[in-house]
Amino acid sequence: MISNIVPEDARYLSSTQYRLWSFTPADLQALRTTTNQFAADRVREAVRRAREARALSSADVSDADPESKSRGASALPEGEVDCLTVEEELKLITYFCRQTLQLGDHLNLPTDATAVQYIKRFYTTNSLMTYAPDTILRTALFFATKTENHYFRLSKFAEAIANTKPEDVLASEFLLTQGLRFTFDVRHPFRALEGAVMEMGAMAQGAVPYNESAGSQPQDMSRRVKIAHGVARDRLKTSALLTDVYFHFTPSQIMMASLLLADEELIHWYIASKFGTEDPMAQKILIVLSDCAGMLQTIEPVAAGPTTERKAISALAKKLKKCRNPEKIDLVALQKVKREGDGVEDEKVIKKRKMEREKVAREADELFGPGLTTG
Amino acid sequence: MAVSPLIVPGSGERGPHSKSKLSAASSGNGTPSTTLGSNSLKDVAEQMNEEEKDKYVKGKKVGEGTYANVYIGHHKSDPSNLVAIKKIKVQQEYKEGMAPDAIRELKHLQELSHPNIISLLSVFSSKDQNLNLVLEYLPLGDLEVLIKDIENIHYGAADIKAWMGMLSRAIWFCHENFVLHRDIKPNNLLIAADGEIKLADFGLARSFADPYRVMTSNVITRWYRPPELLFGAKHYSGAVDIWSVGLVFAELVIRNPYLPGDTEIDQIAKICAGIGTPTEENWAGVSKLPEYTVPSPTTPVHGPEHYLGMFGTAGPDGVDLLMKMLILDPRRRITAREVLEHRWWRGEPRATRNEDLPKKGPGSGLSRLGATESKRPGMVEGVARRLDFGA
Repeated sequence: MISNIVPEDARYLSSTQYRLWSFTPADLQALRTTTNQFAADRVREAVRRAREARALSSADVSDADPESKSRGASALPEGEVDCLTVEEELKLITYFCRQTLQLGDHLNLPTDATAVQYIKRFYTTNSLMTYAPDTILRTALFFATKTENHYFRLSKFAEAIANTKPEDVLASEFLLTQGLRFTFDVRHPFRALEGAVMEMGAMAQGAVPYNESAGSQPQDMSRRVKIAHGVARDRLKTSALLTDVYFHFTPSQIMMASLLLADEELIHWYIASKFGTEDPMAQKILIVLSDCAGMLQTIEPVAAGPTTERKAISALAKKLKKCRNPEKIDLVALQKVKREGDGVEDEKVIKKRKMEREKVAREADELFGPGLTTG
Repeated sequence: MAVSPLIVPGSGERGPHSKSKLSAASSGNGTPSTTLGSNSLKDVAEQMNEEEKDKYVKGKKVGEGTYANVYIGHHKSDPSNLVAIKKIKVQQEYKEGMAPDAIRELKHLQELSHPNIISLLSVFSSKDQNLNLVLEYLPLGDLEVLIKDIENIHYGAADIKAWMGMLSRAIWFCHENFVLHRDIKPNNLLIAADGEIKLADFGLARSFADPYRVMTSNVITRWYRPPELLFGAKHYSGAVDIWSVGLVFAELVIRNPYLPGDTEIDQIAKICAGIGTPTEENWAGVSKLPEYTVPSPTTPVHGPEHYLGMFGTAGPDGVDLLMKMLILDPRRRITAREVLEHRWWRGEPRATRNEDLPKKGPGSGLSRLGATESKRPGMVEGVARRLDFGA
């Protein structure tokens, strides 16, 4: 029976993180391109529809309801719609993932790492132009508290974030789970890091035997392990979450790459202590690790984004506002229709929500998205 | 969502064009290949969902409960290939969005693939946003049905060994993957057409907690709940499941629940009487658990002779294994791995082959499948199925 025990690698291969959420860079790029082009087509179609509807209703002079004329019209961009490119979407997604981490910090939620992966996964098959990132990020953060057993009352959650009502958080929950393809388990590299650090610590104490051909231990190993631990952990909490490494590498590779960036000599020795210096496997591993490290280095391990990007992000945010799909803006109303299964909506409810939305939009104009980090 | 009547000219041409793009995008590492449906107005995510949904045909309802309805269904491409479709109801009274049981079940079944754990074949949403879990079709009821049907079902030590073997492998696999099931009991052990036992209902399951993180002690149906949970422990391990496995073992032998407490207090009393009173002597630290209270006078822990008298059918090795599963101190209780290494499996009698195991007729099994998969026995037995997520 024990011979049936599956090696750890085989078990990772059966995880949804590998089966559904691992891509080659080319595949991921292709998927994002498809998603982006679809969304752009749909935005243009929706805008055209809305314009036609507006033209129709303004032509109809007998229409006594001024509300129906103005509804939605204010959101319509003029002229040809200028849509976001894949690269622009990615920049914005990174920005919003940072916001998520800051909000998670603010609310003291250890589940923000999972939420960020949810957002990144969601936007491989959905576009920012269709579903607003500031909405999705709240939903992802709340949903992650549920999937990670970190209970947070919805009403308290909504209260803690400016301009947020429970219904806003829930309206896109189903969309999120669908975008996640109903897979909620995210495998993080954090536990792996603790394991490696404990083992290296024990090696430094001489408590663990290792391959002698690795040579003598790096100088001052105990202290270096401690330092590398902290540096690597910072990297895992920032760069690892914000780059695409989760889509391309296993948690242990990400963990080792973050250690490699922290103390190259230490990690070279650590790998040699496992394989010796002659084993070609060690070389193979190092190649993968340096690929992963290269990707990690594209985003600095700091909480806030570089100030030099602020202007560009702000411009992209403005651009996004002008290419939002007008049919997908009021998710709460859309959700109501879906759940209740008919298209008959209460005009008063729509009007009320529209006014609320416009109020929020007015308040949110400094950068965009209401001040997420201030409760 | 409905197709708008205002499809602009040209949108029709986009279909096949996009189709090739999307197909190209699906990667070779197991991501199901996706081809575009007729409706190019749907999001990529929506199209993927449609594609899953289109693989199955939903048939008649076979079970109804407050949490879910169960339907029989089949693969569209092969009508003889049956599935069970568990449609989770939107819980209007639950105001926090998608309900905990649905999230837990999805999260864990998506990851666990093992012959003795019910297979989740697919998940899709219908247009009313109800979740549909496509599960393997298990027509032969559950272990509780077999245990209770003393009139018609006769079984012996070799059969018990076969069923216990399958249950033990299932729970070993859960723990090996850092998942606690937290609701093991005979009616969560379903039986496949070929006699294979399948652990089902992961609505209370969770991943092992990080050190120092607390978990709720309000899990596991009372009769199968271990003493540490009854005493309110907030940090616990796979040992909680092993206790339940031990009580399933005992129940298989005597064909009655071994410790059927009426209340939590009564449950503790039954444990003290049936196994022995947890004390500092047999379980260091137990008196510090938040809700530790035991009736006096105390009962010493029973020795093998007590168990041999009651569970002798299982043989001395079987009794030894049973006693190790029911050790009061969770730190000394046998682990799932050690269970599999126990000598009982290798001794006589050999476990019955699946095809020779006693079975219920498929007719009576059908309704059972529905009932088991949809009812919420935890409510009846006093487990909070809607436990908070801080669990």
